[in-house]
Amino acid sequence: MLASTLLDFTMEEQKKNARSRELSFVVGGEVSIRQDPWWWLVVAVAAIIGLLVILWPVPFREIVVFARDGILVTMVVTVASYFLIVIVGLLGGLGRISKNKLVFGIASLYVEVVRGIPLLVQLIGWYFASPVIIQKLGLWLNLQPLIEYRANPIITAIMAITVCYGAYMSEIVRSGIQSVPKGQMEAARSLGMSYFQAMRHVVLPQAFRVILPPMGNEFISLLKDSSLVSVVAVADLTRRGREFMSAHFNPIETWLMVALLYLVMTIVAARVVSYIEKRSKYERY
Amino acid sequence: MPEPIIQIEDVRKRFGRVEALRGVNLDVSEGEVVVIVGPSGSGKTTLLRCINRLEEYEEGTIIVDGMALDNTSNINAIRCEIGMVFQSFNLFAHLTALQNLTLAQCIVRKRSREDAEKVARALLEKVGIPEKANAHPAQLSGGQQQRVAIARALAMNPKIMLFDEPTSALDPEMIKEVLDVMATLAKEGMTMVVVSHEMGFARAAADRVIFMDEGLIVEQATPHDFFQNPREERTRLFLSKIIHL
Repeated sequence: MLASTLLDFTMEEQKKNARSRELSFVVGGEVSIRQDPWWWLVVAVAAIIGLLVILWPVPFREIVVFARDGILVTMVVTVASYFLIVIVGLLGGLGRISKNKLVFGIASLYVEVVRGIPLLVQLIGWYFASPVIIQKLGLWLNLQPLIEYRANPIITAIMAITVCYGAYMSEIVRSGIQSVPKGQMEAARSLGMSYFQAMRHVVLPQAFRVILPPMGNEFISLLKDSSLVSVVAVADLTRRGREFMSAHFNPIETWLMVALLYLVMTIVAARVVSYIEKRSKYERY
Repeated sequence: MPEPIIQIEDVRKRFGRVEALRGVNLDVSEGEVVVIVGPSGSGKTTLLRCINRLEEYEEGTIIVDGMALDNTSNINAIRCEIGMVFQSFNLFAHLTALQNLTLAQCIVRKRSREDAEKVARALLEKVGIPEKANAHPAQLSGGQQQRVAIARALAMNPKIMLFDEPTSALDPEMIKEVLDVMATLAKEGMTMVVVSHEMGFARAAADRVIFMDEGLIVEQATPHDFFQNPREERTRLFLSKIIHL
């Protein structure tokens, strides 16, 4: 939400007098193969998937049909987590540069602890431990809904991923904010803006452009790491692939198709990131 | 006699073990142009930055336009009345010149976009670069950037303008265009506190020249007295070093 308002803010401004900015904005507003030849890779991978499905409907078409809800789950888990990760990262990043020792301490502790534990361990931990804790809490408070609490796999998975990736995102946001010269904040404050107004309108829009590549990286890693949720009963693409394989005993075809499906999603994501990057470029000092 | 618009009383400030300001007293009246000179490390920039609290001070009192700076609750309101121009311009790099001028007007002064743009265009006209309204800072020369920065501060309709070595980062041939804008402002009656090494500007535009050294005000006088017959030995030494002709 915050990142998108930042984006909206700058994009909106850019559109208004696009012509006068030809000098400062690298032309690259169009999504087209001519402007970004890497789209050919997307086309190629998509074509391979298409060919396999058409030429050998058994088993490739079957795999795709069987796993299509898994593809959707993978996308939902990724996008929903990423949305939350950006918010956590923004808060964590601001906490990591806070002059308030308590806020700084909490943010730093969060980053250091969470970064040191494998995502898979965190996922399994949240999935198996959090319901027990909530149920115990329910017994203690004598609240029936809590006592009967059962973990929702998807929500638990999104929560675990958000906590884990939020730590990395916090560090990315912190580095971005620190890359903006101190004078920008001082100039904004000297005009009477509050700390948060200055952050929102002056520092973050500039930091955002700097951290776009690592933020894109995080998204692509996340898309792949979302396959880990298959171990906590989330029926994502990987889990559906496994189910198909155990039913039909054709590991080569199954994992080839699953791999291609992941690949097409990640390279599309990479193109989108690169498009946003080109759109938001401006000349720096 | 009306109250001075800036009252500085016994202000002290230290950076770690270094005492940057060691008890400074200074009053500036409305419409006065004060130029602060002194060797580097004498505390002139620190003093200037204390006036809008970009720098915290440990002891003393600063009252601007009747409001005490020590009271933190209304610092943003006070800063609206104090324009600040930096040595390194500090224009918002992601915005055009026009947007640099309108941003704070809209979110701090709560002006409508149309009103803010009207003010902004008039000020860009005033500083002589109306045609650069849609240029980004990186497309402007240093002198142009500094003029936009002055316009940005003026757009808030401040009662006081602070200049922190506004020409020190400029190529020699761009200094004049910035000083001309400042001289015009001075003539119009703006209250100005200027830290500068431009003795020519001090001589021509200042009502009072202040010489600082080692965190203290050593001498203050009219430009004529200051340059013709300085009283303090330290001032004479300083002037002999910088005026070489």
